[in-house]
Amino acid sequence: MNKILNFFEDKIPNCKCYKTYKFCFDTKEYPTSDYNDHKDFKVRKSGETEKHDSYISLEKRMKSEITSLFRFFLDGSRRTYKVDDIAIGNRVFPIIAGQIGVGCCERVDKDTFKPIKLENGLVVSIPECSDKDGSDKYFFNNLLMKLNELSFLKQKNLEFKKILTYRDSKTYENDQYENLAIAKIQDEMIQQEKEVVKSLVREKLINQDSYLLKDGSLEYSEKGVEDKSFRLSLIKSNYQHVVGVSKSFNPELCDDGKTKSMAKKIAELPLYSRTPAFLLEPNIIQDVKFCVWYVRIRDIKRTISPFDGIVKIEKILIKDNEMRNGLESEDVDMISANICNERNPVAYGSDKRWANHLYPVFLTESYIKSKYLSDIYYLNLF
Amino acid sequence: MGKLIGKIAAVEKNPTTIDDFYFWTDKNIILNPFDVVKVEHISKSITYGVIEEISHITDAASFLSSFISNDFGNVDSISYTNRIGMNYVKAKVIANSSNIYTPVHDGCKVSLADKKDVEYALGLSNIKNPLPCGFLEMYDGADKIQLPVHFNSNFIIGPEGAHLNISGISGLASKTSYAMFLIKAIQQTYLLKEKQKAKERDTKDSVAFVVLNVKGRDLLALDEKNDKLSDKDKKIYEMLNISCNPLENVKFLYPYSSKNESNTYADSEDIQEQIEMKKAFKYKYIYENDKTKLEMMFSNIDDSSQTMESILTFISNDQGKFNNIRYWNEFLEILKEYCQKGATSDKEISVQSWRKFNRIVKTAINSNKSIFANRTDENQSEIRIEDMIKEIKKNEIIVVDIAKLDENMQAFVFGDVIQSIYQLKLGQLSMREDIPQKIIVFIDELNKYASKDAPKDSPILKSIIDITERGRSLGIILFSAEQFKSAIHDRVKGNCSSHAYGRTNAIEIAKNDYKYIPHVYQGMMTRLKQGEYIVQNPIFSSLLNLKFPNPVYKQYKNG
Repeated sequence: MNKILNFFEDKIPNCKCYKTYKFCFDTKEYPTSDYNDHKDFKVRKSGETEKHDSYISLEKRMKSEITSLFRFFLDGSRRTYKVDDIAIGNRVFPIIAGQIGVGCCERVDKDTFKPIKLENGLVVSIPECSDKDGSDKYFFNNLLMKLNELSFLKQKNLEFKKILTYRDSKTYENDQYENLAIAKIQDEMIQQEKEVVKSLVREKLINQDSYLLKDGSLEYSEKGVEDKSFRLSLIKSNYQHVVGVSKSFNPELCDDGKTKSMAKKIAELPLYSRTPAFLLEPNIIQDVKFCVWYVRIRDIKRTISPFDGIVKIEKILIKDNEMRNGLESEDVDMISANICNERNPVAYGSDKRWANHLYPVFLTESYIKSKYLSDIYYLNLF
Repeated sequence: MGKLIGKIAAVEKNPTTIDDFYFWTDKNIILNPFDVVKVEHISKSITYGVIEEISHITDAASFLSSFISNDFGNVDSISYTNRIGMNYVKAKVIANSSNIYTPVHDGCKVSLADKKDVEYALGLSNIKNPLPCGFLEMYDGADKIQLPVHFNSNFIIGPEGAHLNISGISGLASKTSYAMFLIKAIQQTYLLKEKQKAKERDTKDSVAFVVLNVKGRDLLALDEKNDKLSDKDKKIYEMLNISCNPLENVKFLYPYSSKNESNTYADSEDIQEQIEMKKAFKYKYIYENDKTKLEMMFSNIDDSSQTMESILTFISNDQGKFNNIRYWNEFLEILKEYCQKGATSDKEISVQSWRKFNRIVKTAINSNKSIFANRTDENQSEIRIEDMIKEIKKNEIIVVDIAKLDENMQAFVFGDVIQSIYQLKLGQLSMREDIPQKIIVFIDELNKYASKDAPKDSPILKSIIDITERGRSLGIILFSAEQFKSAIHDRVKGNCSSHAYGRTNAIEIAKNDYKYIPHVYQGMMTRLKQGEYIVQNPIFSSLLNLKFPNPVYKQYKNG
């Protein structure tokens, strides 16, 4: 069968497919260096209007937050597959296929949780040198068009959204090529996330009473963004009512300016409390400032590690006074209290990250994953 | 398609099969076991299923997840989101519009059925020889539908199938009411046929009923109107095309009572009134005519050595001193003589056997002295049951009251009724040409006469087995009722074509008789309301949960 691989062998000049063993990479997402916490994360300034030296308890505030601030929940996910090794010229490159899913769900009321957006697509990542001339800007578009014309794909009503290309100008080991290819798929997923946020804003769905909670960091690197109009600095106004909540983070990367690391302080965060918010200005994202803080939503007695039960919260600073003075502490407390109130139900038994997971996000993630083609089915298209 | 309620879910652990399928539905949609649903299937066909089980699940992996989701056991904890949950329903495939029985496909739409769909699915449409047997209620609120259900009478009173067994605990199950509801429907159907006789091809088809009243005054006013019948019940009767008038052509046979003792719960004034209207009679047993029936007194006596049978034959053949005896007191005296040591030279029957025989017979006769009489006086409306049965006419209902008699006497009378009907149908009692083609006998507390533990040679058990096995061809149909079906002899219940299960208890349901019934239906049997039965009949493609209205005849408080 190997229909797609035969197609590549046929259409990419001077190449040979080895029909190697196909497999799915660990379905668990792992961050690339371009994503999530940044290695140059140095926090020295306060990110909120009031100055706090220690933890801020949220228990009182939680009780007053009867209705939730968050109405929409966004998550992006991708699954990557090594489908073959391809020889182009004297070098061998991996072909990495991917399924991308970005979805947004709306919580209408306690019992009604429904999807409102779903962007899912099939992509394949191949080396740039597949275009032998390296100058034909239409080569990959034509390749995609011809790929989607394959009769067996049409019969199955399947269509590839993009053929992504990874850089091969330097000589890497094979697994480094794989990482480059996967990073491309990751960038594509982030692009789709941005598009979904953009459409929510355009449709005026998110506002001061209906926030969007995005799973993961908002610190989108501008490195991999090919379409300049999607640079965070240009679209940050879309994120006025968006909060990023990360389940995992590297506490060692956070420095409050007084001690070397804030890890101990974060670990010892009492239940339903937050750290002071810090201002973050990542070097890799120009003209964008973030307000970042940590909140403990589960009792340390109930978790297996000190950082379980703590989530990292990010909010992009948009207004001028926010950029100058940081986010209103009142807003930080309100967001934090709402996040604490989202702690139940839990995905205990269904997800190992249950202590850091927020249930609506878990549902959104489950919805997106339910829309994936099965691994065996997808791999057998190649 | 009707109102969409969900989609088929064929999963690894619970695939759809030829026999059943699963579908998911909103947790707030109210569905019930026995509701019919329809599914879009291949070749534009429709598969119909009847709901067997409804389960509610959430994504909680374990009870522990639920505990943890409440802040580790805090009963006051609240959340912005309720755990995602849905109902999934197991349904049994009962029909397909194009006879396609390959399993339904995952993702196919499932919807509620309308009246026509339900009729088609359950095999209720185009029923020949329709006989109302209750009504179905399905779905809830605005979607609720109600439709009449009919038996094909050929499958309940022959010739295709016969006999009905009704089970359920006393009081709530209203077994007698259901049997009488069916008898009312049958009588009305045949009375209508009678009127249209000229148009009917089968003019010989006729029916009569013999009903035994075993409890209070339950059946002693079958021909009197139920003034307390509600408008709701009247509407149901109208839907079923049954009139609200009481039963017709009813005759009551009461055990003869002397001035000193009453053998019936009926009011003596009522009896007198009925007698004047030629509706009531008093039955007696006369030695000359009824001595052969003495065997009925031994229905619960184990006679493995057949000595009792030898004595009965001895007496029936007027052997020995039993020759030329006319009255019961003479009989008892002769019997007493046989019990004396050395009174008989007959070596086959020992004195001990005579004594045992004497003890049983003497007790029965002496405790019912007024019934075991010397003669009947027709002017006083005194009769023998056999004579009344011999003259039974079509569409007539004979009610034999045995409620106040002791258990052995009840068995004696019931045995007499059964044997009289049997002999009538065999042509041994009468050569009449207008003997009703079918005689339906209704007896409550069948467990007293056809119990699993009854002696094998019990004459009544033998008669009942005969009726259930051969009665269909003879035209004797048994409508029987009992509290616990499991107590009934296998050959008796095995030969019943229809079964109605009323409310019963968990111990009964654990018995083998209920093994074929799906688990959820078994549970439902312990919760059935009064006037509700789970009915099995060969023409229905599934068990049906039927309801029926209150009786059209007068109901006495406290029986």
